[in-house]
Amino acid sequence: MTDQHEVGPGSDVSGPTSWSIHLNDVSVTYPNGTTALRNVSLDIPAGEMVSIVGLSGSGKSTLIRVMNGLVPVTTGTVAVGPHEVTHLRGRQLRQLRGHIGMIFQGFNLAERTSVFRNVMVGRFADTPTYRTLLGVSSERDRDLVFAGLDSVGMLDKVWTRASDLSGGQKQRVAIARALAQGPSVMLADEPVASLDPPTAHSVMNDLRHINGERGLTVLVNLHLIDLAQQYTTRMIGLRAGEIVFDGPAAEATESNFEHIYGRPIKSNDKLAN
Amino acid sequence: MTVDEKAAPLGVSIPAPPSRLGQTAAAVVVGAVLLASAADLDIDWGEVWSIPGQIQRYGRLMFTDPDWERLPRALFETWRSISMAWLGAILCVVLSIPLGMLAAHGVGPTWLRLTLRAVFAVIRAVPEVIIALLLLTVTGFTPFTGMLALGIAGIGTQAKWVYEAVESIDDGAPEAVVAAGGAIAELARWALWPAVAPALTSFALYRFEINIRTSAVLGLIGAGGIGSMLTNYTNFRQWNTVGMLLVVVITATMIIDATSGRIRRRIMEGAKQ
Repeated sequence: MTDQHEVGPGSDVSGPTSWSIHLNDVSVTYPNGTTALRNVSLDIPAGEMVSIVGLSGSGKSTLIRVMNGLVPVTTGTVAVGPHEVTHLRGRQLRQLRGHIGMIFQGFNLAERTSVFRNVMVGRFADTPTYRTLLGVSSERDRDLVFAGLDSVGMLDKVWTRASDLSGGQKQRVAIARALAQGPSVMLADEPVASLDPPTAHSVMNDLRHINGERGLTVLVNLHLIDLAQQYTTRMIGLRAGEIVFDGPAAEATESNFEHIYGRPIKSNDKLAN
Repeated sequence: MTVDEKAAPLGVSIPAPPSRLGQTAAAVVVGAVLLASAADLDIDWGEVWSIPGQIQRYGRLMFTDPDWERLPRALFETWRSISMAWLGAILCVVLSIPLGMLAAHGVGPTWLRLTLRAVFAVIRAVPEVIIALLLLTVTGFTPFTGMLALGIAGIGTQAKWVYEAVESIDDGAPEAVVAAGGAIAELARWALWPAVAPALTSFALYRFEINIRTSAVLGLIGAGGIGSMLTNYTNFRQWNTVGMLLVVVITATMIIDATSGRIRRRIMEGAKQ
């Protein structure tokens, strides 16, 4: 897949093709014996905006990490777009990861470097290693970095040190880093859990725009039920590594959530309480 | 005298004191080891009492009238020692940063990590002087030999500091680079290096300080520099010159230690911000 090279400098609307995701009977058991996923099968069509809801420890983080191979599956198969993730190694796996953007709860920026350098990480999969090591970037890479920052409203901070940004700004820089990849899928692991409510909404809005305008498949892990209902169309409920709910997010009832969480709903299960 | 006699007047029974058997046994063992190790040292106990007097006598010989005539030569040799120490430190640091990073958990593959750590452990077990003696047969009695010996001998400890520093950093930024499809070299340059740069710079200066002290020792076996000059004049029993050389060595070492220490403190304070 090289079609992402069609992304022109500065264009943030005509994205690359969006990919579907298929998990077939996936189980993950960590070396310490913990089983994080049990026989999970899942079909996510291209361009869908999906939330994965569950308590911490329910397997949400693992589910999202098997899709880009950060966590290897113990049994089962994972297919993302035209690739069989389970079979990829080395360079091919890095190429695939280049097509999958990811953002994290803790932003995961290199704090002691500039915003520019952090977003440039998004170009690694498509850049020869000697170039990145020397810090010599091509015109096209720079343009993609600027375009990514511009689409999250952070272009004026491009030369700022990452450690000088607020939490919400850091998460936007992290989104820009993922966009600079020209991704076909966007994964978000609890992207708003470290943010205050207004910032959380603006980051969720950014993700909705990415899904709406670029048509990207977006998967977002959440533990707040009102955010899942407000921003995503489909909701997958995980409990102890098994899918216990899968349906339209808006139609999920209180009892559905109580089934997912295995306990009555509390006020801190929602952002607005 | 016994516990019972004391207890009677008070009318209460005093609890038995805790057993001191463990401490007594430890003291006996330590004493035995001390005697056993002193037995084979051929200590002339009659001469031991004359040591303070001898120290005073040689002290007077060296320092009542130090011979400043050879100061320019001493300064030149000091400069050679400093050069040896500095280049040795650079060689050591340049080799140990990449090797140490590869030996850190989660960076290189397991077989490489274990191999590198074994190599570092072996180097740590061999003193600089032994490495210099081995190198002498190849490169001869020159400061270059000293530099190589310092460069190689330091790797064992220096690389250990590097991997310990790398393992102590937050794993967020490295995870982001891997998720974006970055290779190991890109991970090292743009996620690990920004996080550990202040600590590693401080370690590099510390290596220089250690080398300054060690370079004098290497002079004793003929690796050039101020140490060689010191050995020669001690063998010639020219105590005036030896006194002058000691003044130069100690002054130079203290100045460099103090300066380098100040720079290190500033680097680490800057890193906290």
